[in-house]
Amino acid sequence: MIRRAAILALLAAAPTVVRAAEANIPVLVPITGFLATEGTSQRNGALLALRNPPAGVTAKYDVTDTGTSPEVAVNALERAVSDGNVTAVVASMLGTQMLAMLPVALENRVPLTTMSGTAEITQKGNPYVFRFFPADSVVKGAQVRYAIDTHHIQKPAVIYQTTAYGQSGHAEIDKVLAANGIKPVYEDALDVSVKDMQPALAKAKEAGADSLLLQLHGGPTALLLKAAAAMNLRLPIVAGSGLSQASTVALLESAELKGVCGETGSSPISAETPGMAKFLDDYRAAFKSDPDGFAVGQYDATMMVLTAVKDGAMTAADVTKALATTRYPGLAMTYKSDGKGNMAHSAVIICFDGTSRTPNVVKHYEFPAE
Amino acid sequence: MLLPLALNVLALGASYALVALGFVLILNATGAVNFAQGDLVMIGGFVTVVLASYLPVPAIVLLPILLAAMAALGVLIALAAYFPLRNRPPEAVFISTIAVGIILQNAATVLFGPEPKAAPPLLGVGEFDFGGMFVSRQSLAVIAVATLLIGSLYTLFAHTQFGRRLRAVAQDREVAAAIGIPVDAMIAGTFAVGTALAGAAGLLLANTFFVTPTEGANYILKAYIAIVIGGWGSIPGAVAGALLIALFEVLYPSMPVLLPAVGTGSGLFSQNTSTIVLDVVILLTLVVRPQGLFGEAIRQRP
Repeated sequence: MIRRAAILALLAAAPTVVRAAEANIPVLVPITGFLATEGTSQRNGALLALRNPPAGVTAKYDVTDTGTSPEVAVNALERAVSDGNVTAVVASMLGTQMLAMLPVALENRVPLTTMSGTAEITQKGNPYVFRFFPADSVVKGAQVRYAIDTHHIQKPAVIYQTTAYGQSGHAEIDKVLAANGIKPVYEDALDVSVKDMQPALAKAKEAGADSLLLQLHGGPTALLLKAAAAMNLRLPIVAGSGLSQASTVALLESAELKGVCGETGSSPISAETPGMAKFLDDYRAAFKSDPDGFAVGQYDATMMVLTAVKDGAMTAADVTKALATTRYPGLAMTYKSDGKGNMAHSAVIICFDGTSRTPNVVKHYEFPAE
Repeated sequence: MLLPLALNVLALGASYALVALGFVLILNATGAVNFAQGDLVMIGGFVTVVLASYLPVPAIVLLPILLAAMAALGVLIALAAYFPLRNRPPEAVFISTIAVGIILQNAATVLFGPEPKAAPPLLGVGEFDFGGMFVSRQSLAVIAVATLLIGSLYTLFAHTQFGRRLRAVAQDREVAAAIGIPVDAMIAGTFAVGTALAGAAGLLLANTFFVTPTEGANYILKAYIAIVIGGWGSIPGAVAGALLIALFEVLYPSMPVLLPAVGTGSGLFSQNTSTIVLDVVILLTLVVRPQGLFGEAIRQRP
């Protein structure tokens, strides 16, 4: 009895050791293939958060390249969740991969945070998907509204990718145009392997287009802008979020970007706030490159998961609940689920003045969750 | 609009022709299909990007350095992937060149990352205004440089002792050896020339179309198609086949512009359908004229 009392006394006198909460967050993103540019940004944003978690949290993570095949993404997710100890997953931004991963997340009850813009992923009633990039209904709404407000477009040409991202964005663009009584005079779906954009641009011009609305991935966006500059097309161009990526812009001369605008969730390179300026510095120091909206969005998403863990969410179920119900003030915007997993409800329009590769944020659009 | 599109066909076709010519030269000299040729185009693009990061000058200035570096790489490939296997069944060399391609592709991913990179323009950006018709300076420069390279190649083969020896080796290696031509050196020289041509194509294409580690497969496919259409082993055929591919890629989807009666809303003339029509043309060529447009010698097609 005396011995037990002594042990208890020693334990009581010992300094309190606070054990850090551990978050296990696999990063499953496309870092090769046609979405390499965007996927690398997504990975880097996640890594920056995972390497600098909130005090009291340690983060465990592995990065897996999902390429561009849905099967590879599904296999990667199944492997990642197989030990039953995953807190949340940083999941591919490729829509076709996300659609394939959703059933696995549902079966294993693991939350997926993603930057995929494909509308369908949050329309399937799956409670484990959380999209931190504004949905197509938000960014495409901003893209078309800006084109109408600023350029007074009446006869746009819409050029989009044949991927899920391209088709989903195209559907939203057409919807917003129709709501404003505008019908495109020319539409073209391009495979990601198409490199020569001049035929599509020539046909848009021949059709009498007064503007170009794009829904292309980063590389194809750069190819099209280069071709448009070479043809001296002189039409207002409002691009998709592919334009906001530093690696896309790096492929073009400043003069080739003159007057071109694009939508995105946020523009960290424009460093509008002190928080964003610090993020920009940290990102550049870590990755020797400039961040884009996908990087800061995935940073915010990962930091929201880590903050939930810090606040006591110990399991995947706890984190899912926190993501579904909490309002989180991130660097790019304040995130709140609309009940379907759409967390981001703001978009910005960036434009280039032709003198540098750094865009200016020219317009903010808010689309509050209903 | 016809002039810019026609120049685009010539620029693209001339670049593809360089790839196909390199492929044919090695094929004729060794009887081996060099499946790494497409990846060598990619390497040429990346070498240009690297050179430009150290020497920020127009790409035309970098071209001689690139040609020398790629020629050296070609000799290395011959030493590593051809000579040790040349007495084995032909499949061994096919496999070894595929392996070289995979090594190059993965090395590029490790060294440069998966993202696209842009090489500098040959002379500068901008366009020329021909009475309201704008023509890209880069397209004109690509046509000029590719024509110069193809012309130089013709001069090399037709009017130099080195070229005559190369042709002798391509025609009959045993007879060439019997009359004292250093066959191994000539084969190594052919790899050097073929690889340098692929590198030049990489330089010409990497400004307008960028360069990524995985695009070699696309170029080898185009070279292969060009040679099948033009005639297996035929040098003029390789050039004609390359121009035909460019014609389909650029002009076919532009038909609604060239013939307004077609209407831009027709899905018949898109980039996707142009690929279908090109493949149908290849099938028809194989059926109607299996030796290709310029084919003459009967050769075994692997």
